[in-house]
Amino acid sequence: MDTIFLMNSLWVMVGAVLVILMIGGFILLETGSTRMKNAGHIAGKTILTFGISSIVFWAVGYGLIFGKGNPLIGLSDFFYSGYDIEGLALSGSVFFLFQLAFAGISLTIAFGGFAERAKLGAYLVFAVLFSVIVYPPIAHWIWGGGWLADHGKQDFAGSTVVHLTGAMAAFAATLILKPRIGKYNKDGSANNLAGHNQVFTALSVLLLWVGWFGFNAGSTVSVDAAFFGFVAVNTNLAAGAGVIAAMIISWIVLGKADVPMMLNGALAGLVAITASCAFVDTWAAVLIGFIAGFLVFYSIRFFESKGIDDPIAALSVHGAAGIWGTLSTGFFATPELATVGEPGLFYGGGLHQLGVQALGVVSSGAFAFIVSFILLTIMKALMNGLRVTEEEEIIGLDLSEHGSYGYPEMVKTEMSIISSDSKLKA
Amino acid sequence: MASYLEIRRFRDDHIIWVSRNHLQLNQLHDEIIQRVISVSVKQTEKFFGSPPCPFTFFMMGSAGRFEQSIWSDQDHGIIYQQQGDSIYEYFMVLGKEISQGLQLAGYAYCDGAVMASNPLWCKSLSEWRQQLVNWSFNSNWESIRHLLIFIDGRSLYGEASFLENLKTEVYQIIHKECLFNKILNNTLYLKKGLGVLGQILVETHGPHTGSLNIKEKALFPYVNAVRLLAIKGNILETSTISRLEKLSQIELPSIKGEIYKQQFIKLLNYRLSLSKPDNYENSHFLPISTLSKKQKEEVKEILRNGMALYRYVKNLIEKEDT
Repeated sequence: MDTIFLMNSLWVMVGAVLVILMIGGFILLETGSTRMKNAGHIAGKTILTFGISSIVFWAVGYGLIFGKGNPLIGLSDFFYSGYDIEGLALSGSVFFLFQLAFAGISLTIAFGGFAERAKLGAYLVFAVLFSVIVYPPIAHWIWGGGWLADHGKQDFAGSTVVHLTGAMAAFAATLILKPRIGKYNKDGSANNLAGHNQVFTALSVLLLWVGWFGFNAGSTVSVDAAFFGFVAVNTNLAAGAGVIAAMIISWIVLGKADVPMMLNGALAGLVAITASCAFVDTWAAVLIGFIAGFLVFYSIRFFESKGIDDPIAALSVHGAAGIWGTLSTGFFATPELATVGEPGLFYGGGLHQLGVQALGVVSSGAFAFIVSFILLTIMKALMNGLRVTEEEEIIGLDLSEHGSYGYPEMVKTEMSIISSDSKLKA
Repeated sequence: MASYLEIRRFRDDHIIWVSRNHLQLNQLHDEIIQRVISVSVKQTEKFFGSPPCPFTFFMMGSAGRFEQSIWSDQDHGIIYQQQGDSIYEYFMVLGKEISQGLQLAGYAYCDGAVMASNPLWCKSLSEWRQQLVNWSFNSNWESIRHLLIFIDGRSLYGEASFLENLKTEVYQIIHKECLFNKILNNTLYLKKGLGVLGQILVETHGPHTGSLNIKEKALFPYVNAVRLLAIKGNILETSTISRLEKLSQIELPSIKGEIYKQQFIKLLNYRLSLSKPDNYENSHFLPISTLSKKQKEEVKEILRNGMALYRYVKNLIEKEDT
């Protein structure tokens, strides 16, 4: 058998494993950034919905994205059975698994907007609907030979397809679910519902950072010229620049190096470089990550001030940074590296590529938002609301949705502190 | 004055008229507290007879410094002349009575239990002396903190000399043992009021979003720095303003002292005139967006000077230490 074929397969398999491990990163990210009483629920549902996403992807998702169809949707290859795929220089099942992992990540991002208040049932139903109706069309448009691919849209590893899509669904969800109890005061000022474990959050960033080598470098889907190394370098640089930028801006504006903000800066850098990692020079990767770090800081403050409660900053980290990352190739894509589309504005490519990128952002973002909003509205009507009751929210979703706390001893102490605290203030 | 609740009514009737005037407000607080003490002493006399020996009751914290805003919690202690179990029991009863009385009159209990109802802050003269020596020689974080609280003590009832003598002795120990660096370290943690771009750093979350925490970011640098200078200059006064007035050229050049005094007075006025003083917590927050451009500049100036004063004291102590 062809050595290159085997090596490609092996490399992409490594990538798939890394991307699936990012689910672990998201578990730590989401639990660390939220309160103890919901930790077991959040950890458990993340695994559960990845399971649902996997089955749906196998049944229909893959076919809708990569099947033969029209510029809007694929319509063949449902219930994939492990065969090799024509025109691919790697094992079909490895490619399938790699793509399955991406779909799972996008869904996990979307659920960031549900955190700490949605019913378990809402997760289950939306996991299916998102994996059939929201994600596959966009992935088909850009990666599956759909209409945006025809325009030469550059989205190497999914700033738009994976991150923006997930973030827009999260946006729809936060709007429909409304803020968590206690997030906003009567005068509209926001309270800081601090996450319960910054160590989890930091570890999550490291896990995601490493996982991103699978996400981005793996998206070369080949070992050809060991180009994956270059992609990985760009990825790492953007993450580093993102964390530094977020630290600097929070120090300048707030007077302190806010830890959650620094961590979000690293993630924003990673999200932003996802589209451009294969198309830009290393210095541009640093700049893209740096700008993403600034952007995420202001984006988080913006959404919070608008009364939009986004517990794990999915809208800013994956949405704002995803948009910036997608547009960034329109500025920085070099003639040598732009294997898809045209060079960017700073390389004499004019506004053409920037326009294509903007078209991709607007159409994909709008589609993801509108469709998610409609689906969630219908669900809300049919499911007697998407949100748990106030009492359930206060005792925590660990107990209300699953019957036991993730930290049985700790939460009881915490709850007694809360109740004595409110007595003191009364 | 028959009961604490009547004193409370007296307070509610009068405080509104002086709520914008720092001097009158603190005079009123003193009067209210003294009325409470009188009632408490009479109550205790009724059940346990007259005090077995002379004593003094003193306030600490913002009341000790004559720097209370409208709402304040209570920090106080008792020094009595002679030792003895029955004497101790008598003054503990009195201490509890006063704490309760103050609470009824509108002064919240102290979270840290710095109250004459706590045996730690209700002792005979000789026990106090021993305790202050222990605090000085232990010189760990907590005991230095206690010393600093004690140094802000101001007698409001009884034999004021008891407190003055003890404070003089404490100052001697601090000078002899050279505890200045330890004191500095105890109050070194400062919350920044100004960012690197010179902007006022306000609360970003919670009910006080957009407000400046005056207590931690503006008052503390002045109060802590000036207290340290006062100890250095053996000044027994407790209010930051009178401490500043009494400081000699050695501790602080008088030109600077005058500037800091004016800034601090401005700060106290800002606190009274612009914060929403409907409860203890609110009285410490200044809503920045309601300020005019000129007022904002003044607040920045106050914060800048507070930090400068603090840096000055830090350098002074550190220079001497080496």
